[in-house]
Amino acid sequence: MTFAQYAWLVPLFPVAAFAVLITLGRGAGRQAAWIGTLASLVSLILSLCIAGERLSGTVDEYNAHFTWLQIGNYSLNAGFDVTNLTSLMLVVVTLVSFLVNLYSHGYMRDDERITTFFAYVALFTASMLGLVLSDNLLTLYIFWELVGVCSFLLVGFWFQKPEAKAAAKKAFIVTRIGDLGLLIALLLLFWYMPGNALDFSSIHNVFTTEAGVIAGGITTLIALLIFLGAVGKSGQFPLHVWLPDAMEGPTPISALIHAATMVAAGVFLVARTFVIFQASDAAMTTVAVIGGFTAIFAATIGLAQNDIKRILAYSTVSQLGYMMLALGVGSVSAAMFHLFTHAFFKALLFLGAGSVIHAVHTQDIREMGGVGRNMKITAWTFGIGALALSGIPPFAGFWSKDAILTAALTHQPLLFWVGAVTAFLTALYMARLFFMVFAGNPRGEAHAHESPAIMTLPLIVLAVLAVVAGFVETPFNGWFGEWVTGEKPEAHTSAMVIVVSVAVSLLGVYLGWLIYAKGTVRRDIVSSRIPGLVKVLENKYYIDELYRFILVKPLGGLGKALAVFDEYVVDGVVRMAGQSAAGLGRLNARLQSGQLQGYALTALIGLVIIALAIAGRRFW
Amino acid sequence: MSFNIEFTGEFVAFFSLAVCAIVGAVMALNFTKVVHMALSLAFTFIALAGLFVVLEAEFVAFVQVLLYVGAITILMIFGIMMTKHQGEGQEPSRPLLETLGAIGCLALLGILIFAIRDANFPADSAPLPLDTTREIGKLLFTQMAVPFELVSVLLTVAFIGAVALAKREEDPQ
Amino acid sequence: MNMLASYLTLAAVLFCIGLYGVIVKRNAIIVLLSIELMLNAVNLNLVAFSKYGVQPSLTGQLFSLFTMTVAAAEAAVGVAILVAIYRARASVNVDEFDELRR
Repeated sequence: MTFAQYAWLVPLFPVAAFAVLITLGRGAGRQAAWIGTLASLVSLILSLCIAGERLSGTVDEYNAHFTWLQIGNYSLNAGFDVTNLTSLMLVVVTLVSFLVNLYSHGYMRDDERITTFFAYVALFTASMLGLVLSDNLLTLYIFWELVGVCSFLLVGFWFQKPEAKAAAKKAFIVTRIGDLGLLIALLLLFWYMPGNALDFSSIHNVFTTEAGVIAGGITTLIALLIFLGAVGKSGQFPLHVWLPDAMEGPTPISALIHAATMVAAGVFLVARTFVIFQASDAAMTTVAVIGGFTAIFAATIGLAQNDIKRILAYSTVSQLGYMMLALGVGSVSAAMFHLFTHAFFKALLFLGAGSVIHAVHTQDIREMGGVGRNMKITAWTFGIGALALSGIPPFAGFWSKDAILTAALTHQPLLFWVGAVTAFLTALYMARLFFMVFAGNPRGEAHAHESPAIMTLPLIVLAVLAVVAGFVETPFNGWFGEWVTGEKPEAHTSAMVIVVSVAVSLLGVYLGWLIYAKGTVRRDIVSSRIPGLVKVLENKYYIDELYRFILVKPLGGLGKALAVFDEYVVDGVVRMAGQSAAGLGRLNARLQSGQLQGYALTALIGLVIIALAIAGRRFW
Repeated sequence: MSFNIEFTGEFVAFFSLAVCAIVGAVMALNFTKVVHMALSLAFTFIALAGLFVVLEAEFVAFVQVLLYVGAITILMIFGIMMTKHQGEGQEPSRPLLETLGAIGCLALLGILIFAIRDANFPADSAPLPLDTTREIGKLLFTQMAVPFELVSVLLTVAFIGAVALAKREEDPQ
Repeated sequence: MNMLASYLTLAAVLFCIGLYGVIVKRNAIIVLLSIELMLNAVNLNLVAFSKYGVQPSLTGQLFSLFTMTVAAAEAAVGVAILVAIYRARASVNVDEFDELRR
């Protein structure tokens, strides 16, 4: 018996919790929410057992499936895979989910729909775990959409706020564009794969050993369409616009879905179907370029934002760009490594931000300041997260960023410099954020106070992980990459990479300290010289406005035209059908006179007609 | 239609009885007084009984006279007596119903005659047993015993039902 | 043309006259009597077939006996219903009975 055989139980506990919570509903009382937490704890323990088993390195990869649908000769299977990659993702998802669950007990304490909230979180956790475990693309796609739905529900959790409603719709619609790409890719794969197989092992075999079965052009198309799905989910340019808006949701959700797990699903998808990308140079280049561009693009926007959660959101977009960059230059291990560390420190940052927001009741960093004095634990843990994100050794982010930069330098030197500049910008905006929130004097009226233990405990756990998680792979020890991908890592200890990345990070932090803490450099040093640039950054390069102008408006116009068409033509036809039926009914009602003889006459005429019809058939 | 008809005794009897039956039926529809109608139909029933005799179905003919002429017509006359029939004949006519009814009936008649003409009947074959009444009696009490009993149950039920229906309801007071 | 066709034609004529009476006549008693006429036309068919049919046998006659019994039952119940309705409505005109509409 191995734990891997019971991997299907991992998503089952949250599903059960979801069912119970949604059935109990609002009347259940706050304590019922612990059911969700308990379920995620059980899942976490099971995931840890599975991962521990895999770490021992003695068991084979495990796959179990059953025939779901039998259509003619084609049988569709559904099942799960337990590999090193999936067990890693299981641990990340369940761990963050459990910690966010704990945290939410504090954060959502005064919300009257707390049971609904925990039900959604449980459903999300289950879907995400299902996505991770799926052994074929179709079930993955189903769970992919399910996490999308959960994201929609949770972003719009406070649907009384119009912004939250709009953000939920935006998140759903924008990611749908990507989902459509993934769906088309899936159909193409189904069409072209030998035996219509959609499971990952067959895909792996076809694209590695039987190269040439699928034509090069189709391969590129499939890869790009899959990447489109990943772009939508992971908030890559040009579909990144939903992620910052999604920060209207409760902060624990931002930490769980929009930082650690769901947005990483895109990266995970590309990693899972990596063989398809490897078969196409064009696709790889596209992934690398989009990733690199998104990384630097989002980082510059992050510099000019004033909403604490939006800064973190753009930082997430930027870091996901990093992961895509790593994938694009062919290093799955670096991407997964960054995903792994990023999940911890970004969740930490979001939860810390939530703790601050909880205390000062504003999200604008210009109204904060000096919060660190009263919120020691939050300040320290947030600081650790910020350092990890900035890539300061020895925190986790340094090692993973280093792995990505090394891979980039080997394959695409230009992208290495993009990454390095992004690292500088990252350090700068994190320093800005940290110093403006925690240092200096209070600027708002609210008096900060430390959050309850149930909220600080997850912060401490994540802070510890943000420190130590990076040591699973260092330039001197490629153990993690080998474990995840099963391949020997390239010898890549490059002093130059380390020096450059540490230098730019320290420079960024130092500059941020000078500007925002010490005040030696004036804050408006840039805005006074080139006011246009700051304005552009504050408005996120006017991407939203551009989309509104070139997409939303024409589509809205088309929709209005169709609405008119619907109103007068379609509805007209429907009304006509209805009225003709009603008229016929009135006519028939007159036949229904209650006159027995009328009925008899009708029956007689009917009989004559039938007899004539039968007899008439003889003549022609 | 071929008219090479042999004037056998049977044909003469059939023809005269058929004319009686049709005349009785048509008259029944033409009279204005209900009693006349009923009596005219009784005449048709008697003519039919005669036809049954021609068809060597003496027992059926007997029952026909007994039941239709003796029972049903009398029953109807009782019904007429128990209800009032004022203003007969001058009731407003219903032209649509009458026209359509006539057209429908004529069409049906046409179809039936067409079907009869079209059908291929076998030539006369084996004769029936001479003493049909005895044979019917035997059949009724052997082979047809169960339907016979069922019909008697049906009759009993119908008559009880008729009594229950026609009984004057008790005044609640 | 053999005799069977003649009998069947006569029966058809009587049946159609009865049907016309059922549809057109207003007096409920005449309607009932017309129904009896239709039944009788059927009886004539049965008896004719019992003599001239493919397999002449007494079954046709027996069948007509059963039909007459049912007709008797029907007439009795019909007249009973008629009397009951007459008591309620003081009329025997079929076109005034429109209870079916309700």
